[in-house]
Amino acid sequence: MLYINDLTKKYGSFTAVNHLSLHIPEGDLFGFVGPNGAGKTTTIRIVCGLLKASSGSVRIGSSEATVGTKEMKRLIGYVPDFFGVYDNLKVREYMDFYGSMYGMCSRDIAKLSDDLLELVNLSDKKEFYVDTLSRGMKQRLCVARALLHNPKLLILDEPSSGLDPRARVEMKELLKNLHSMGKTIVISSHILSELSEMCTSIGIMSHGQLITAGRIEDIMRQAAGGKRIHIQIASGIEIAVRLLQEQVGVIVESVRENEIIISNNNTDEQISALMGLLIQNQVVLTGFYREEGNLEALFMQLTGGDSQ
Amino acid sequence: MRILAKPIKINPIIKKDLQVTARSMRLSWALFAYEVILTLAFLLALAIIQSDNNSYYSSRNIYSYLIYLFPVQAAVQAFIVALIVPIITAPSISGEKERQTFDIMLTTCMSPFSIVFGKVVSAVIRILFFVAAGMPIMALAFVVGGLEWSSLLYFILTIILLSVFSGSIGICCSAFCRKSIVAVVLSFIIYFVIYILTFVPTILRFLWSKGEHAGESMLFLLINPAVFFEEFFMQIMTGESAFGVAGSNFDKSEVGVITYSLSQGKTWMFLSAACIFILAILFMLAAAWKVNPMHSSSKNNFTGKSNRNKRKNKDVQ
Repeated sequence: MLYINDLTKKYGSFTAVNHLSLHIPEGDLFGFVGPNGAGKTTTIRIVCGLLKASSGSVRIGSSEATVGTKEMKRLIGYVPDFFGVYDNLKVREYMDFYGSMYGMCSRDIAKLSDDLLELVNLSDKKEFYVDTLSRGMKQRLCVARALLHNPKLLILDEPSSGLDPRARVEMKELLKNLHSMGKTIVISSHILSELSEMCTSIGIMSHGQLITAGRIEDIMRQAAGGKRIHIQIASGIEIAVRLLQEQVGVIVESVRENEIIISNNNTDEQISALMGLLIQNQVVLTGFYREEGNLEALFMQLTGGDSQ
Repeated sequence: MRILAKPIKINPIIKKDLQVTARSMRLSWALFAYEVILTLAFLLALAIIQSDNNSYYSSRNIYSYLIYLFPVQAAVQAFIVALIVPIITAPSISGEKERQTFDIMLTTCMSPFSIVFGKVVSAVIRILFFVAAGMPIMALAFVVGGLEWSSLLYFILTIILLSVFSGSIGICCSAFCRKSIVAVVLSFIIYFVIYILTFVPTILRFLWSKGEHAGESMLFLLINPAVFFEEFFMQIMTGESAFGVAGSNFDKSEVGVITYSLSQGKTWMFLSAACIFILAILFMLAAAWKVNPMHSSSKNNFTGKSNRNKRKNKDVQ
């Protein structure tokens, strides 16, 4: 869906984005992570046509449209981290205004607005002035506004910043909902736990460079070292410890009453064979799971402990 | 028929700006102040004409002087418009930037020129509210007769031209400045250059020729709306060219062919209107160029979050 190829943005001698290449598949909920000044917002603003890149290209789907053109703008819905509102403008009029800016006719805007306001739980606020809404409501309204022209790609720059816990949960649910509807979403956030819960893939940026990107499971596995396994045993723990210690590439890290934690460099097939070996030797297994990674730890490790 | 059935699309910025303005109390107060100023100007002009009548003229011909209420009223309106328009337009883009609504606007399908044009037109329409509100007072000058209704139409066209010109200066400053107050101040500086400093070459040339004529240095005044306005009223009231009277009642050989030709008939007035309009378009194009993220210089657009936060903190300090 989104192809970013060798994107660079320089401000004099300072390089904000350094040869960034990234592909986000259709239907993904992609999380952009990185410390302040990493270049996330700059990248997002370039994609949205709010900033001119020094070099590189951005493409959406099969469209050949270039950044900043009307064709490209039609494909993107943008929700900034903070946005102001107009005094004396009602929610309905706010939607009407932005719909007209995409060249939509009033009838279509009215119909779509109703549906979208329903989706973001604001249908009862249609006649309210926008500046009287809470921050969370404004943010949801902004999402509805960004969806008005039915973009292929929805980009949100830190949508949860400044929101209270309840509003954050509502925003998270809304994004999950949109993702389940098949929308491709790119979200930049500092709240890593939130991203790990809802994103299907993430990319970590630091100093203008993309350090790592991929499916969330792979990243989490990478975060855990991918190699720690918990084996829960009902009986035969001594036999199990002996057998595991005999295996090449397996290190028994700890042994508890009913659980052994091992770290290993083996493949999934080798691990499967190892479990089979334990069962053959009369070890009664009650559980077996791979340890989930900690995204925050990985983030700190990859970004060299930069403060967020 | 299909073409006829197609709804006319109004620039959404015009619609939104008018909607927001109509709900604001500021418009009502501004209209009230405008009406008060016009009424006072009318009464003052009337008092002066009456006092002159008592001292110099017979009561028979006072009516012939009441006709001058029209240019007085028009000049006052034009002056107020020239003052109001930059105050309306100069904060229009910088205000959107301050409010952080401008980025969203730029991500829509509206072109930068449409945004700029919409802002200027909405300012012109707001000015027309004022002009319309001033019409009853203006119409008093018609009671005594001697004025054509077409004069009123020309006056409205002149005010529109003046509003577009002033609005384009305001919008250009708004595009180049981050803060509204700076944009307003810069607009008035440009005003000073156009309204006052364009007289300098003429004055210098006049002094150089030992007070005989200003020659082609007067061409600078083609872009001066005040001179255009004066020319417009000279044409309406006397049918003569102010330019001709002031600068070119001379021979072709003395003032040059261009100056001489311009002083004939209504040439100066139309050429000046064209120059002012072209200058207005140029100001609007400059504003559109500046707000277009794909054209303007990258340094000014460095809006990375960490940088924005720094700027915000600086503003707070």
